[in-house]
Amino acid sequence: MLKKTGILFLALTASAISFGKLNVVTTTSDLGSIAETIGGDLIKVQSIATGNQDPHHLQARPKYIIMARNADLWIRTGMELEIGWEMPVINGSRNRDIRPGQLGHLDASKHIHKLEIPDAGMLTRAMGDVHAAGNPHYLTDPENAKHVAADIAGRLALLDPENADTYRKNAAAFSDKIEEKMTGWKQKLEPMKGKSIVTYHKSWIYFCERFGIDIAIELEPKPGVPPSPAHLTRVIQTVEADDIEIILQEPWYSTKAAEKVAGKTGAHVVTAPIFTGSDPEADDYIALIDLIVKRLTEQPE
Amino acid sequence: MNYLNSSAMVVAGTLLIFNASAQDTAEATGITFNDSTGALRAFNPAVSATIDMFYYNEDSAEGLSHMKEEVAGFGGHAHGEDEHDHDHGYENGFNLRHLELSFYAEVDNYFRAQAIAAVSEEGAEIEEAWAETTGLPWGLQAKAGKFFSNFGYINAQHAHQWDFTDQPLIYELTLGSHGLNDKGVQVSWLAPTPVYLLFGAEIFQGDNENMYVQAEGENVDLPENDGPRLGVGWVKLAPFQFDNSELQFGLFGASGSHQEVHEEGALPDEYAYDGDNMFFGGDIVYKYNSGKAYGQGDAVVQAEYFYRDKDLDLKDSTDAGAPIGSALTGAQDGYYIQGTYGFLPRWRAGLRWDQVGLTNEEQEPGEAKEEFGDSWRASAMVDFRPSEFSQIRFQVNNGDYDLGDEGTENVWEAFVQLTFSLGAHGAHSF
Repeated sequence: MLKKTGILFLALTASAISFGKLNVVTTTSDLGSIAETIGGDLIKVQSIATGNQDPHHLQARPKYIIMARNADLWIRTGMELEIGWEMPVINGSRNRDIRPGQLGHLDASKHIHKLEIPDAGMLTRAMGDVHAAGNPHYLTDPENAKHVAADIAGRLALLDPENADTYRKNAAAFSDKIEEKMTGWKQKLEPMKGKSIVTYHKSWIYFCERFGIDIAIELEPKPGVPPSPAHLTRVIQTVEADDIEIILQEPWYSTKAAEKVAGKTGAHVVTAPIFTGSDPEADDYIALIDLIVKRLTEQPE
Repeated sequence: MNYLNSSAMVVAGTLLIFNASAQDTAEATGITFNDSTGALRAFNPAVSATIDMFYYNEDSAEGLSHMKEEVAGFGGHAHGEDEHDHDHGYENGFNLRHLELSFYAEVDNYFRAQAIAAVSEEGAEIEEAWAETTGLPWGLQAKAGKFFSNFGYINAQHAHQWDFTDQPLIYELTLGSHGLNDKGVQVSWLAPTPVYLLFGAEIFQGDNENMYVQAEGENVDLPENDGPRLGVGWVKLAPFQFDNSELQFGLFGASGSHQEVHEEGALPDEYAYDGDNMFFGGDIVYKYNSGKAYGQGDAVVQAEYFYRDKDLDLKDSTDAGAPIGSALTGAQDGYYIQGTYGFLPRWRAGLRWDQVGLTNEEQEPGEAKEEFGDSWRASAMVDFRPSEFSQIRFQVNNGDYDLGDEGTENVWEAFVQLTFSLGAHGAHSF
């Protein structure tokens, strides 16, 4: 056993020396966490958005250009989430290997089941910040994380055939782990099944669809538009009519609007991270889902 | 300057060869082909239209745009002929600055390109029409066409991207209302250093409405200088890698051919000058991202310094006694510093301070060196962005303009600006 480990270790060291570690840059920290799970010590992962930053509203910065310059693989959420800054970063990096269409560019949304794809004929900017390709917050559904893991493993295997088996094995192990955790998550969320909640932004639809939770209304009247007094009145009416208990939102939104609604109704505010790294308890993808489930099922103080 | 032409051709040819060798045979399995222009448009370019209009009022007697042409040490806008001679001054009341039509696409797997037409009521101008390589090795990139020089910070930005409705005074008084926007080539190199270090060199035709003019006189002759007549170099450095903020420094310099025709006396006599105009300076930008939604708490501080030095010789004159060959020299400088802060979701406030003519001297042939005073302007603005695609801005300026012999005049200006973007979701550089 020890001998085997030694040989494996030697092989790993040898490959690390001969090829260097693959540099992987992900646009968001949840993608980064999944990539780390799959690549382990064979790759070096950097994420552009920290868990506390809304990845839709970043700016192309010199720091990101330097990260992209040395990347062997660029992984993005896709579905226009990074549309405001991704290409200036890639162009600025002068790294031709990670341009869309190259082997070093992976759009993680390829195999996921997309929700809220708007009818192209009906789509206008008057709908707010709506993405033509559908809602890009798909990684809140752990089932989608399996597809993403498989895609990342597949691409790493193409870039680094020597270690293809390791990547595939790690992706399979990650999927098994999700499978295993799923039972527990479903059990914990059972009391919420069929009930309605309020969310701030349309970032939880995949999570809620997976666990059978209804989203009655968002605090934002339209995606990307902050809550208005008139809309909050509607939210309060909805909360009262549906006996809603939870208002769920990400850390970067002010809790003022949610607290206003909570103050006038029986609901309470739950702040949960949507990306890894924003909370010490959510340092990897599975811990992140654990934490979201925990926050949703905690009794309010 | 002919050697420049031939060497540019050689460089361009070499770049093409390298670019062509850059193609990977990407495996067809699981590669996504989409160019971030949205799902609906397939191979069409990303098309957008930007409407930029404002209500304007200022309180000077003779009109501020006319006055700016008389600012001591910065006069001389009316010398030479070029197609930019329509008046860019703002009228009291409603102004439609322009309608900007933009087409952007990846041309193929070697180039990306953008074509921007600025349509105003006087007609249309090609604001940008360029292609840039996407596959050169060693951190190199080459660009050709008509484009904004990337020197400094604000020059490469379009008017509707500025944090204030009007541009910094020093740029308006030196390079004019379009900034440095010209036909030419640019090569830039991202150094393989652990921090961001970008070098750029540009060669332009040298057609600026104000600082790089090829003039013509009625009765005097000037040499016809072949293009390209202007070279620009710049470097940008971002030494820190903070999580939520970025600090970038820049240095730049340029030199190019310039001509002026002066008319003096009652007849009047004409004096034709030919020589060089050079400029150099530096810029600094600090951006802070608060991580809060809708831009609340975000801050930007930027400052630029610009020094120009004019060195011309008298080539011809209708005045028989004129000292042909003697020098007309001048040096002017200026800077601005501005900051914006997101004080509420979607609301920003900003302050700007402009000063020009700290160095301000001119020497005409046979005359003593003249020293002029400085001019300053203070601005405050508040803007509101209902979404990423619309903006309303309120701005007030108050400035003291040194008009030389006519003394100093103080002018108030007020703007209410509306900006609307239609179509493709743009992505902006730092």
